[in-house]
Amino acid sequence: MTNHFADIGNADAVLIMGSNAAEHHPIAFKWVLRAKDKGAPVIHVDPKFSRTSARSSYHVPLRSGTDIPFMGGMIKYILDNELYFKEYVVEYTNSAFIVGEKFAFTDGLFSGYDLAKRKYDKSSWAFEKDANGTPKRDTTLSHPRSVFQLMKKHYSRYTLEEVSSITGVSQDDLLKVYKAYAATGKPDKSGTVLYALGWTQHTVGVQNIRLSAIMQLLLGNIGVAGGGINALRGEPNVQGSTDHCILYHIIPGYLPMPHAGWATLADYQKANTPVSKDPLSANWWQNKPKYVVSLFKAWFGDNATPENGFGYDMLPKIEPGEDYSYMYLFDRMYKGKIKGGFVYGTNPAQSVPNSHKVRKALDKLDWLVVGEIHHTETSEFWHRPGANPKKIKTEVFLLPSAQRGEKEGTISNSGRWHMWHYKAAEPLGQSKAMGAMVVDIMNSVRKLYQAEGGTYSDPVLKLDWPATYEPDDMAKRINGKFTRDVKIGDKEYKKGQQVPTFVQLQADGSTSSLNWLYCGGYTDADGNLSKRRDLTQTPMQAAINLFPKFSWAWPVNRRILYNRASVDLNGKPYAPAKAVIAWEGGKWVGDVPDGGWPPMSTGKGKYPFIMQTEGHGQLYGPGREDGPFPEHYEPAETPVKSHAFSAQLSSPVYKRIQSDMDVLAVPADPRFPIVLTTYSMTEHWCGGGDTRNTPPLLEAEPQQYVEMSPQLAEEKGIKNGDVVVVESARGKVEAVAMVTIRMRPFKVQGRIIHEIGMPFCFGWTTRKCGDATNRLTPSVGDPNTTIPEYKASLVNIRKATKVTEL
Amino acid sequence: MSVSRRGFIKLLGAGTACVGLSKLGLNLSPAQAYAASLKTEGCKEILSICPFCSCCCNTIFSVRDGKIISVEGDPDYPVSEGGLCAKGAALLSMHVNKHRLEKPLYRAPGSTKWVEKDWKWTLERIARKVKETRDRDFIAKDDKGRQVNRLESMFQLGTSQMDNEECALSHQMLRGLGVVHMDHQARI
Amino acid sequence: MPKAFLIDTSRCTACRGCQVACKEWKNFPAVPTKQRGTHQNPPDLTHYNFKLVRFSEHMEDGTVHWNFFPDQCRHCIDAPCLAASAVPGAIIKDEASGAIIYTAKTVKEDFASIRSACPYDIPRKDPKTKQIVKCNMCIDRVQANLLPICVKTCAMGAMNFGERSAMLKLAAERLVTVQRTFPKAQLLNKDDVSVIYLVTDAPATYHKFAVADASDAPGMTRKEMLAGAFAPLRKIAQSVQG
Repeated sequence: MTNHFADIGNADAVLIMGSNAAEHHPIAFKWVLRAKDKGAPVIHVDPKFSRTSARSSYHVPLRSGTDIPFMGGMIKYILDNELYFKEYVVEYTNSAFIVGEKFAFTDGLFSGYDLAKRKYDKSSWAFEKDANGTPKRDTTLSHPRSVFQLMKKHYSRYTLEEVSSITGVSQDDLLKVYKAYAATGKPDKSGTVLYALGWTQHTVGVQNIRLSAIMQLLLGNIGVAGGGINALRGEPNVQGSTDHCILYHIIPGYLPMPHAGWATLADYQKANTPVSKDPLSANWWQNKPKYVVSLFKAWFGDNATPENGFGYDMLPKIEPGEDYSYMYLFDRMYKGKIKGGFVYGTNPAQSVPNSHKVRKALDKLDWLVVGEIHHTETSEFWHRPGANPKKIKTEVFLLPSAQRGEKEGTISNSGRWHMWHYKAAEPLGQSKAMGAMVVDIMNSVRKLYQAEGGTYSDPVLKLDWPATYEPDDMAKRINGKFTRDVKIGDKEYKKGQQVPTFVQLQADGSTSSLNWLYCGGYTDADGNLSKRRDLTQTPMQAAINLFPKFSWAWPVNRRILYNRASVDLNGKPYAPAKAVIAWEGGKWVGDVPDGGWPPMSTGKGKYPFIMQTEGHGQLYGPGREDGPFPEHYEPAETPVKSHAFSAQLSSPVYKRIQSDMDVLAVPADPRFPIVLTTYSMTEHWCGGGDTRNTPPLLEAEPQQYVEMSPQLAEEKGIKNGDVVVVESARGKVEAVAMVTIRMRPFKVQGRIIHEIGMPFCFGWTTRKCGDATNRLTPSVGDPNTTIPEYKASLVNIRKATKVTEL
Repeated sequence: MSVSRRGFIKLLGAGTACVGLSKLGLNLSPAQAYAASLKTEGCKEILSICPFCSCCCNTIFSVRDGKIISVEGDPDYPVSEGGLCAKGAALLSMHVNKHRLEKPLYRAPGSTKWVEKDWKWTLERIARKVKETRDRDFIAKDDKGRQVNRLESMFQLGTSQMDNEECALSHQMLRGLGVVHMDHQARI
Repeated sequence: MPKAFLIDTSRCTACRGCQVACKEWKNFPAVPTKQRGTHQNPPDLTHYNFKLVRFSEHMEDGTVHWNFFPDQCRHCIDAPCLAASAVPGAIIKDEASGAIIYTAKTVKEDFASIRSACPYDIPRKDPKTKQIVKCNMCIDRVQANLLPICVKTCAMGAMNFGERSAMLKLAAERLVTVQRTFPKAQLLNKDDVSVIYLVTDAPATYHKFAVADASDAPGMTRKEMLAGAFAPLRKIAQSVQG
């Protein structure tokens, strides 16, 4: 989230799209209701009428995978009616930047497309730059190659007629939403966008969010109270675990993973450190080398030296352009290339697309370690229905994990609040915290390497690795310390002292920090700030539900990101009644400002979007894999054969796994005419392992179901409560039919398209509750993130003649 | 730690609009005084956080003699103000639960069942597997001759259930071993 | 001063925090359930489910209405079940809170007559203990000056609890606000019960027994009971409120 949960209450309009907030972030929804109490329209745009829709001002049903046309139409509406916040757009976004002459967009394809590689060469998308390397600007926004004019041209194609025809939303409903939400373009109004997996889990997932960013920037809704783009993150510490980057492509603090093309630390730093010669651009990532070296110092301690690139030389380097994420990982496992590994607190046999293949892939492993609280479909893969355990040679270790209340440490909520939880009871039986498992396993490995030697043992033995798992010690290491006595400016720091903030981190090895974002959260002066529970506020903070002394938020306790965009060039809040920061008496008051520089009008200020090299919000985003402007492409499996926006039916660059088990339906496949979307629910969590084993939750949601419209049910001769078989090109799933008016057929391109929805939490280890919905979904994903397209695929349904799973 | 008690009933001043009807003697049976005991009486209260969605509702565990007696929302957490959804409300059942694993389990190749093992044996056996795999499959240089120091045949998945401290360790361990196939719930 | 609940269904998101919290506080085991084509589960109140969120949907003028009703004992001001009680001390009314409490002595009651006396169909029989059971207003918590667990757990402001006078005041205020959006909004049996529901739709679209004078309430006994027991009370309550 750019903002935080309590801030939602400040919104003048709430657009919930790609999210079922009331069911998946139930408590956050109270802040939606607070906004609604004050008169904000709460708009829910989603294929299904859910518990969110029930409490929204209105619900607009939308066919899965058509969010871009829906929002593209809104961009056109905002531009046509000049409802954007002009000063904000000119000063704080890249609307005035001039794009290079080589940029083109023709019939659904941006310039630089390589069909053989299914990839773009992005060089032609670059800005036109002056001699200094700074993008040229036309603040009148009239230059034909200005971002503003290109954007206007791009979205001029998203007419009400075409948008309505492809999304299945009536023109009246489109206009109703556009009008209500665009009203937040006034300087003192704000609108918030709440999204979740309903946007990310598409082959155009990143562009869904990009387009919402464009919309929010046009309306001046970023950096302000009651605004922002707010990812309601679905999991308990998915914010923190993402910040610590337990992902293949980044290392803690969103730093790029080293790849084979960068042989030395110097190569890595040069390639990844952006340069701006614009004195008004903070270009914060210019500090990246300090964060990188401090991380390596924390990883390797005294063994991180300038001679070995502070440990860079020992680290793994990925192959440039290679993808090591979930779907590719399981494809390689299926093909016998992966031999063993660890699964902690996740249940891929349930939650990864094409579960049949995932489950078969597990059969190929030599060994598997699962750290869990319960038995799951993953830990039990070797005796799943239809499998013969005697033929499965995998050694499986199932490690009992402590529950949350049995351990201490920090987690980070979606609003980036870093909070300590205490240990209430001893771990049950011999269970232990996953942190203890990790420490103990690594120490056992290190012991073997010490005793026996082995292949390139340096990185294994040279880690600065604890003897036991001590959360408090780790929290200190995450913040970081000085590794020697140093003087920064006129301030002296002693070896062993905690680093006060990331501003003091250094690139010379004199500081360590396991994650620069969290530096400042555990200092000598203030102690462990994640334990703070002080609810005091200034009146200005109270006016916007800001609790600056409760816990601590990264970065540097800033609660609303990009908050310098909430004030004008003189530092005066655009919305005085809900000011985030204000320049008063020569200093900033309110939230922690995005950098302490004075207002822009002093000439000594900095542009507000400090994480962007040029300092401006990106209406035009030349860094993405699939184009600088979001464009409509159908899901990989689509019920239509063509669309009016271009001849490019689906994304030209979406990721697709190839194997004998990865079969896709053809466009408008007569065998699979129905759109399937999948989701979670309040009562169960993800693959369902934890919650199906919690009796009162299973009592409330006991079995697999499929929600469908009465019209579809009638067509198929299905009655409410019947068991049906849902079938895709990849598998079949049994489910109880929930025939409901909350699902509606869509009128798309003049014909009726049905959509059904299913949860993915039910699995065979809970007796007769059903089995994985993801046996239906395809291994296709977003080209930027490789997040799978769970939200739109093609299926058919029929009444079951024989029931085995329920 | 001190826990404020906004969960208490607000003792609002008695309004004049309505007098308790029972006081008017209108109830059909006489009212009585009923005394009940509180199950959390004498419990120690400990702050934790719900392990589900990223609202991260703060919770209060009531513990007596090391046993969890009750779990409620923490009224001081500004996001939830003491509220919990169905999942959060089920934390007691989630912790005190007969389905939970209590010992390390091992399934041998081709076996049809789990057997209980102690931690020492389990850790040593896992370490042996990790070392065997790493020593055998470690890739020092890629096919272009570039130093890559990676181990492609071993993987890790998970998890957002880990605390920040655990995630940091997990990442450090994996890169130390050379693992590149790593992912977690941010992507699924 | 007696206590009351205000359950403002216009704020309920059916997160079922209250339903689960109730079971957890009372250490009730789960009952076996099946998916039957609705999210409402268990299908009805049970001896282990004193609180149940009911889900009910219908279409009106092309708009979906999905109504949620966190059902529970109303702790009637003059409880028909108490009037029907034949065993002294089996059903009592706690003077301080106004809670209607079923004690262990209910094993000797005739379950059918107690259940049929209830206009809201609340009482259930525990097959093991043979006691008649239902919500006890979390009397243990209330006496310790704590909110009933369902109210404590509700983040949306749907569940409210406090002095009856305060709840009536809150109910009146909320009704005015909610009626701006939902002209049909009303308070259900507010003068007769300690658990006052605010609904935005016709009561029957929530639950058959949402309101005591629902036209499809089965049997004359119940109607007679209501007519007899509640009518004079209403008049007095109105006069008291002035």
